[in-house]
Amino acid sequence: MGKVMVIDIGKCNGCYNCQVACKDEHVDNDWTPIAKPQPDTGHFWMKVTDIVQGTVPKVRVRYMLDTCQHCDEASCIPACRSKAIYKREDGAVIIDPEKCRGAGDCIKACPYGIIYWNDEAKIAQKCTWCAHLLDQGWKEPRCVDACPTGALTFGEESELQDLIAKAEVLKPEAGAKPRVYYIDLPNKYFIAGAVYEPEADECLEGVKVTLIGADGRSRGTLNTDDFGDFWFERQEPGRYSLRVEKDGYLSKTIEPIEALEDINVGDIELHRESAE
Amino acid sequence: MTENERTVVKGLSFNGVVQDGNTVQVDLKDGKIVRIRPFHFDWKYDRKPWRIEARGKVFECSMKVLIPPFTLAYKNRVHSPNRVMYPLKRVDWDPKGERNPQNRGKSKYVRISWDEATDLVASEIRRIEKEYGLSAVLLQQDGHGEGKVVHTTHGCNRKMMSLLGNYTVQNRNPDSWEGWYWGAKHVWGCEPVGKAAYQSNIIPDIAEHTQTLLHIGNDPETTPWGWGGQTVSRLLYWFTELGIKQIFVCPEVNYGAAVHADKWIPIRPNTDAALYFAIAYQWLQAGTYDKEYVDTHVVGFDKFAAYVLGEEDGVPKTPKWAEEKTGVPSRIIKALARVWAAAPTCTTHGNGGNMARAPYATENMRAEVCLLGMQGLGKPGRHMLTTIEWGLMGVRVGDKFPFGGSVPVPRHLVYPDLISTPANRAAPTVGDLPAQFIPKDLIHFAINEATPEKPITWYGTTQSRALTENQFVKYQYPVEGCSEVHMIWTDSPSLVTCWNDGNYISQAFQNPKIEFIVAQHPWIENDCQFADLILPVTTKFENNDIGVDNYSAEFGTLFYDAKCIEPKGESKSDYEVVCAIAEKLGVLEQFTEGKSVDDYIRIGFDQCGIAGLVTWEEFMEKGHYVIPTDPEWEKHDIGLRPFAEDPENHPLTTPTGKLEFYSQRLADHFPDDQERPPVPHWIERGSGHDERIGGDRAKLYPILCLSNHPRWRVHSEHDDMQWLREIETNKIVGPDGYAYQAAFVHPIDAEKRGIKHHDVIKVCNERGAVLVGAYVTERVMPGVISIDHGARYDPIVPGELDRGGAINLITPRNTISKNATGMVSGGFLVEIAPVDLEGLARQYPEAFAQPYDKGTGLAWERMLA
Repeated sequence: MGKVMVIDIGKCNGCYNCQVACKDEHVDNDWTPIAKPQPDTGHFWMKVTDIVQGTVPKVRVRYMLDTCQHCDEASCIPACRSKAIYKREDGAVIIDPEKCRGAGDCIKACPYGIIYWNDEAKIAQKCTWCAHLLDQGWKEPRCVDACPTGALTFGEESELQDLIAKAEVLKPEAGAKPRVYYIDLPNKYFIAGAVYEPEADECLEGVKVTLIGADGRSRGTLNTDDFGDFWFERQEPGRYSLRVEKDGYLSKTIEPIEALEDINVGDIELHRESAE
Repeated sequence: MTENERTVVKGLSFNGVVQDGNTVQVDLKDGKIVRIRPFHFDWKYDRKPWRIEARGKVFECSMKVLIPPFTLAYKNRVHSPNRVMYPLKRVDWDPKGERNPQNRGKSKYVRISWDEATDLVASEIRRIEKEYGLSAVLLQQDGHGEGKVVHTTHGCNRKMMSLLGNYTVQNRNPDSWEGWYWGAKHVWGCEPVGKAAYQSNIIPDIAEHTQTLLHIGNDPETTPWGWGGQTVSRLLYWFTELGIKQIFVCPEVNYGAAVHADKWIPIRPNTDAALYFAIAYQWLQAGTYDKEYVDTHVVGFDKFAAYVLGEEDGVPKTPKWAEEKTGVPSRIIKALARVWAAAPTCTTHGNGGNMARAPYATENMRAEVCLLGMQGLGKPGRHMLTTIEWGLMGVRVGDKFPFGGSVPVPRHLVYPDLISTPANRAAPTVGDLPAQFIPKDLIHFAINEATPEKPITWYGTTQSRALTENQFVKYQYPVEGCSEVHMIWTDSPSLVTCWNDGNYISQAFQNPKIEFIVAQHPWIENDCQFADLILPVTTKFENNDIGVDNYSAEFGTLFYDAKCIEPKGESKSDYEVVCAIAEKLGVLEQFTEGKSVDDYIRIGFDQCGIAGLVTWEEFMEKGHYVIPTDPEWEKHDIGLRPFAEDPENHPLTTPTGKLEFYSQRLADHFPDDQERPPVPHWIERGSGHDERIGGDRAKLYPILCLSNHPRWRVHSEHDDMQWLREIETNKIVGPDGYAYQAAFVHPIDAEKRGIKHHDVIKVCNERGAVLVGAYVTERVMPGVISIDHGARYDPIVPGELDRGGAINLITPRNTISKNATGMVSGGFLVEIAPVDLEGLARQYPEAFAQPYDKGTGLAWERMLA
């Protein structure tokens, strides 16, 4: 079965410990035959990217973590003309730093763009799952040990089935069979807004808001909260409309909403029927 | 593990006052630091995690220390190209001739020997003593830094000077919680800190009872990092699981709001008092406050209500009134008032942040405590939670708690106290004041303006441990019978980057009255660049010491803080530096008391309060001891519950023992003070500050500057760490290859001025200008720029223009208000504009051509002649 890593984006607080721990382990440390030293800066074998979602005041930040997916059908392995890349029994994909001749084929072949060029050593480098530590009896790589929130989990595939069941892989269409799984990937979007009554100068609570897909079918109904806010979470990208209704008020339809990213539709005015 | 491999347990927090935290395991091989990783409590000790149960869910504490990234990346700091490698003397400072004070901050340095350097310091001290008396020596020996005990980061010089007989001391303010100290204390006591001192067991109570957490001006994902790491992060995720709603009220989507907010309410910097008054207005109108509690726990409620309702000044503090000040729509204020009143609500704070260190910040904090009082402060689920520095804020609250005991989580069995032991080579002088002192936020006035004929005056020692009564005592500089300051000896060279109006401070450093400045520090940064003599200091990886992690929430750890590598260059520890100078002055024996570092480590162990739990032999064999959880932790009081339940028998430390919405003490001592009157007020502007949107100054400077405690630093520490400088919200690389301090700018403000994402821009007001990199984002509300403080000073023109992004160079000059001597460093007006970087480089070729490392930034070679 081998090892897997599960990354729960919903639990990542963006502290960058994983990115930094990798540098602490690999910069100025030579772990040949697993890896030669990483350059002081510029490599991100575990890379964090801030994703700012929405607009004021409906804004959130998510952190995407990119790293070697340690694929079972890794395209880097056959691409390497020096046959320097191999798969270990535990699933880790390793670029043998002594066999690598620096042709760079693997960098082009990787569908995930996570292999780096070491210009000083003239070799390709990437995440090793800290295999040199696993071989010494460590249970997990440095990035996982440094994670404060449990956003990163590493272990036997057979023991992490519950997590894997909730997870997905990056670019499944590439058919690479990654050994890294993601929960709560930021590939679905929120559609949020707030409803208020301008005449009363009040947020409207308990307004029924229905999200309608391009096919005219409802994607769900929410009641606005104390602040008149509604958040439809994790919607597929696409075109939507919103139906906004409350007893005694004139209903409203907001359309079209192009949700190709997280959308704050803004403040929606609702007027009393008698006000007309 | 081979013979040449070993692992050392070490604290890596940055409080700098002997207490430590962020404990790590440092793996060493052949004299090299291989890695720095979180310490696992169960490495050598059998410890079981403590648990909190609530609403059918369980929180189990971590079995590893949840360290922050700057602890993890600390190799960067130890090996920084910015380390001082040997003693340096300014080329145009000649103690026997021309001293050229005007060139401080500009001229270069030459290498000298330790022998020459210590001779210079000793002879200057003797010369000054003869000419002016020893009160002419100002010691700057406070602030943050590495946690060390025998080699303590701050204050060894003070211990030695007290042996010589006298000195003047720079007295540190409660710099992170000024508004609490000068404001809230007058409402709820909470001596001596002024912020929520009674924290005991609050977190289990929140888990059980609280429905809403209001994080007001608090970034729980940032400020705790340098002290107790990331435990708060885990707790906040758990609170969300429990169904507790988290509302963040702050000008920017801070790093806590980014991941924990159910609701973000953007508010203009330093306008929180207006929001609070409008909420109180709503509660008074609707009757939705705890009248019974107010009747029995509050004095002066009628006067507070009269102000809020407009009976005092004819201005009702309605939500519409507050909308103009705060930028928060009145309907949101009304909804927030309802949510707060409807169910048990807790506010949370770091140590205070921007809203506690802004013009008239006393009023923000006083008003908030009044609101908590209106909703039954101390009752189940109704508290103010402190999210940082647990164990400090509860230090010796009355005699109720032992050292460090008032923590909101299950407490450790003991909190070893190394501060009070002789192992702390700054003790026992810390806390005692010599005849003359200068508050840290008045240094620039003292040097630039005060004379024996026209001294400056102020109220309060500003000592963070001083009781409220001291705020009514008037002090002056110079003191009669003492000299003006003519020499500065600093072991905390970060005034220009962390305090008020750094550009005016830089003028103080260039003042001809100051004949000699000596700085001792591991890195060339900030005020070091104004010194005549710079002495190289070791990091804590380079000496043997003892330390204690009292800040980690999980368990306490006492550790033998072992030397890992040889000292860099010719550096010595702060203690050793002072020893070398003491030797030249003939007081070495008295200073060391005839004991070695090893002796002091043993004394620290023997006297810190760990006796009976572990023997010295076991401690040294394992290198550390993990302190178990107090088995009786659940029996301790919950926050202010005793006061809530029985105020007569459990009074507060205010004169009446109650919550003083009206402070008779303030009325008696400062009857004419319009800026901190007996009842909290909204202060639009006053004698010292005009920093509000809506005034005339705002026509010139229409943007409010928010200056938070930094995400990727602890104040001014860590700015040279290359692995953190790669993070986009920390540094933005300009077209010239220089990494500029990132600043959040809203797209509307950016577009108006032709600013694009990643442009280098100028932030300016009358006090000067700093360059930053624009991070154009929806993470900040329009009309506000957010710049973390503490970026490394890199003057293009000292006193005028800075390239490093040290925003405190242009923070307000004056204290919080006329009689409140707290520092101000946030919530002030600026304008922002694109800069012509190539033009500047042509105009100032020397400043733009300094030796620069693309990873770490400024390298120390730039200082060499």
